[in-house]
Amino acid sequence: MNRTIVISQILVIEQAPGWLVAALNHAIIAGVLLIGGAITMMLQVWVERRLIARMQDRLGPNRVGPEGILQSIADGIKMFTKEDIIPRAADRWVHLLAPIVALAPIAMMLAVLPWGRGLVAVDLEVGVLYIAAVSSISGVGLMMAGWGSRNTFALLGAMRSIAQLIAYEIPLIIALLGIVLLTGGMSLARMPELQAGIPLFGSSIPGAPDLGLGWFIFTPVGLLGGIIFFICALAEGERTPFDIPEADSEIVAGYMTEYSGMKFAVFYIAQYLLNFALAVLSAVVFLGGWQGPGVAWLADAGLGAAASLLSLLWLLLKAWGLFMLMVVIRAAVPRLRVDQLMSFAWKYLLPLALVNVASAALWVGLTEWSSIEWGNLLPVDGLAPWQRIGVAALVTAVINLGATRWVLRINRAPAAAPVVVPA
Amino acid sequence: MSSEQQPGVIVVDRGHPATRDGRGLVRGIGVVLRHLRDAFGPRLERPEQTSGVFTVQYPEERTPLPEASRNLPILLFDDDSGHELCTSCYQCERICPPQVIHITQARDPASGKAVPAIDEFILEYDACMSCGLCAEVCPFDAIKMDHAFELSTATRDPLTVDRVGLARPVSYYAQLAPQAWAEARDGAMKKLQGSRRRRTGTVGMTPARAAPAPADAPAAPIADAAPAGEPAGGEPVPASDAKAARLAAIRARNAAATDAPAPDAAPAPAGEPVGGEPMPAGDAKAARLAAIRARNAARQREGGDA
Amino acid sequence: MSAHESQLLQVNIGPQHPSTHGVFRMEVTLDGETVVALRPVFGYLHRNHEQLAEASSYIQTMPYTDRLDYFNSMTSNYGYALAVERLAGIEVPQRASYIRALMSELTRILNHATAIGFMINDMGAWHTALQFGMREREKILDLFEMASGARMMCNYFRFGGVVRDLPPEFLPYFDQLMRGLPAFFDEFEQLLRDNEIIVARSSGIGILPRDVAAGYSVTGPVLRGSGVPYDIRRAEPYGIYGELAFDIPVGSVGDVYDRTLVRFAEMRQSYRILQQIRERLPDTGGGHINPALANFGKQKALRPPAGEAYARVESPKGELGFYLVSDGSTQPYRYKVRAPSFINLTPLGAMCRGHLLADVVVILGSIDIVMGEVDR
Repeated sequence: MNRTIVISQILVIEQAPGWLVAALNHAIIAGVLLIGGAITMMLQVWVERRLIARMQDRLGPNRVGPEGILQSIADGIKMFTKEDIIPRAADRWVHLLAPIVALAPIAMMLAVLPWGRGLVAVDLEVGVLYIAAVSSISGVGLMMAGWGSRNTFALLGAMRSIAQLIAYEIPLIIALLGIVLLTGGMSLARMPELQAGIPLFGSSIPGAPDLGLGWFIFTPVGLLGGIIFFICALAEGERTPFDIPEADSEIVAGYMTEYSGMKFAVFYIAQYLLNFALAVLSAVVFLGGWQGPGVAWLADAGLGAAASLLSLLWLLLKAWGLFMLMVVIRAAVPRLRVDQLMSFAWKYLLPLALVNVASAALWVGLTEWSSIEWGNLLPVDGLAPWQRIGVAALVTAVINLGATRWVLRINRAPAAAPVVVPA
Repeated sequence: MSSEQQPGVIVVDRGHPATRDGRGLVRGIGVVLRHLRDAFGPRLERPEQTSGVFTVQYPEERTPLPEASRNLPILLFDDDSGHELCTSCYQCERICPPQVIHITQARDPASGKAVPAIDEFILEYDACMSCGLCAEVCPFDAIKMDHAFELSTATRDPLTVDRVGLARPVSYYAQLAPQAWAEARDGAMKKLQGSRRRRTGTVGMTPARAAPAPADAPAAPIADAAPAGEPAGGEPVPASDAKAARLAAIRARNAAATDAPAPDAAPAPAGEPVGGEPMPAGDAKAARLAAIRARNAARQREGGDA
Repeated sequence: MSAHESQLLQVNIGPQHPSTHGVFRMEVTLDGETVVALRPVFGYLHRNHEQLAEASSYIQTMPYTDRLDYFNSMTSNYGYALAVERLAGIEVPQRASYIRALMSELTRILNHATAIGFMINDMGAWHTALQFGMREREKILDLFEMASGARMMCNYFRFGGVVRDLPPEFLPYFDQLMRGLPAFFDEFEQLLRDNEIIVARSSGIGILPRDVAAGYSVTGPVLRGSGVPYDIRRAEPYGIYGELAFDIPVGSVGDVYDRTLVRFAEMRQSYRILQQIRERLPDTGGGHINPALANFGKQKALRPPAGEAYARVESPKGELGFYLVSDGSTQPYRYKVRAPSFINLTPLGAMCRGHLLADVVVILGSIDIVMGEVDR
């Protein structure tokens, strides 16, 4: 549906100037996304608290509103009414802008994610690149917070969190690169469209119904890439087991130490929203995004609006499912020490991500290249598309599995020899 | 490092790192997920269950406390006669480790001799450490440990409780700790008979029941006429009629309170005996009569003043 | 570090800190993230316990011993009662000894469950293991409330026995709890024992070699984690421990992981002891207190002959000892508490040297201190 026409119809402005319609168009979409983001964040806090409580044999907040759903609003009101303390030695402007710089890029990330079939705010050709670039700016906000607070602990915390973010962004992007190779482009809006069909074989089998389950995670490349991506997303969003910056038991609250009131709340919102955005991104890239059984069927039947709605539902289901997995991991697992965190990224995730890219390249070669491109070494032309996918799956599965076992084996620490500590 | 295996000594098994590789994490998450599943089921009721919601929704649900549970002390008085069991022997004041009990022995108004009864009994609830030694030492079963714990106040003063605030009928304690009271009752009542023989008039009666006519000098300390009835320290005998009227009004309210059960379950450290115990018919009628007389007297005085 | 100069940073952890297990301060000297030196500073919770006891009669001190190791008030009571009984030559009937051992082992289970939980919490596992431990602890506290009247400040022991016998509702509840405990132990271990992150954060951390541990006279799970099979219940049995069969778990490396494993194993051994006690309890006789001291008046008028006595119990944290000197009056001439947490803290600096700042909190959690004991 053409949103521009709809808006000009709603406004019933005769000969409305094009720029006004476009501006209102964008304003409404932005408003919907931001309000949706805010509501999502409040729901996230509620889900997290109740879910963790249930895992700990208790109930969680259930007094404010039905089943405690208004608890976030009560907490928000509390945050608003708290005194805003700025340390005297702090750099006022840096201290003030840090939360904004931390939150704004995450809100910007929401613009390029495809929320449903035909429901993407801005259809960028280089969506992946945009996401990677913009999410890094959020890290600058953390550094500003640590530096501007003029507090040793805050600076220590900020340094640690920047180190963590940088270290984990590399495997994150490389895992994404694997999928970029598979899809042949960086547009995020196109990725769900390519994940139609049946698991693993996608739409390559003629006559197979379009179940919307051709998700990349069912392919070996997507599986390894998805696991790496999810672990890196946990680290990017600073969730346990990578929450050294957020809730450090030694250095109070890390870079957020000197923040109070609404600014602290903004950091909090930024963290939850980033986690949600990363969950949506994981769903889009690896779990098929808005693809799911029934969407194609509704679309073919001419019920476009219903198809879009169903697709939105599927995406939200997947994103919330991933978020709940993040919550379960948070409840079950303690956090890694800073040096262990870094070595995990560099020694485990990065080699695997690189191997995954090589596997992805092999996959593309086996499924799309012709025999001539292979230098007539492989008789690929004679195989049907689904057979080529099968062969590629086998080959990449072997490579990925072997690489995983190899990385785990070479990283095994030798038996701890007792250290004689001078008395 | 211990390599010899001695009998009765076991070396803990550190496990083999090769068996981990992420599997330990996954099993841990499995445990947590099992608890998540059970948390949506029925609540954990029996101690042998290890999974399921374990908490209670306080204050709507309150877990019952066992008989021996001790929080803060109370002074018992006999339901029938209104006489306190305490004889002012000072044993609890002497044994109390943080020294929060302060007793003043009563004297016979006529002869000035000490009688086995209390004139004032102050207990600092905020410093009491609930050890229960006072209840253990008391030879007369007069001071016992109460179960009530919802005693929060906004200021510190109400936490210094006097004889009026500490008073509870024996029936209240009997319902708190039936087994313990059944063992102690006969001995305690016998000793009370002995003490009563040496008490004259209303000396040794719990103040709410020792209700003289409003104009008489009361034997009990006056509670402040604040609406919440917060007990204050002992004040001297009132000289003015206005104070006497206030005293009568408070006695009337206390007497009225002993007729009906307390409206809410949580007892406050006010002067009202709680528990809603049924009083013997004769005393109830006498109390009501006294209340009506007191109310009339107060109204008359205020009408006269205005 | 030879190519350039770097400054050492001195940092205070505590006294107000979520992970210091009470008001406790550590002055840590850091080189980057590595700990170069650590000096524990305590005394923030000093409440003059020993002098108070010297100014009170013997029974008046009993409620104060609850507040030494406030998690394990039963064992603190036990140690003090033992010391006075040795000083005054008081016999304890068989049933009372069984009840005392029952309470001690229940205390051991609740202490280890929550100590492990607190350490995992310090590692960042967001209370989950702690909640599971607390849930079992709540059930044991219900038992304590039935018997003694209070959950934590039990004041249950008297000279010559315990204040009252087990109420009728105690044993059925206890039997039900015992049925559920093995499942709890298994689940607790499954959650924590092979967890890679816990292993990574505790294996090889805070190693205390055997001879160093003995040299510092640490006791309890810290000592046994370092490989020394020393347990007072075996070395100098008190009460009925001489008649009970149990094993002593020891570690091999002496790191944080070993101490945690030793605590897991000790919980199971306590369960074993409880089973034996439960079997034999109905056949015990003698009452819950020495009849000569059943009247509270005798307790409060106790006048031990002049002399001295030292009694020690295996508290869940280590050797808890009480030293009493009597001059023949109703108040002790000298009263001294040998607190295990205090002594176990002394090698903290040695254990933390060379580790990172994040490990300091984990090592402290593995020693399992309670400030009530340390400062008295």
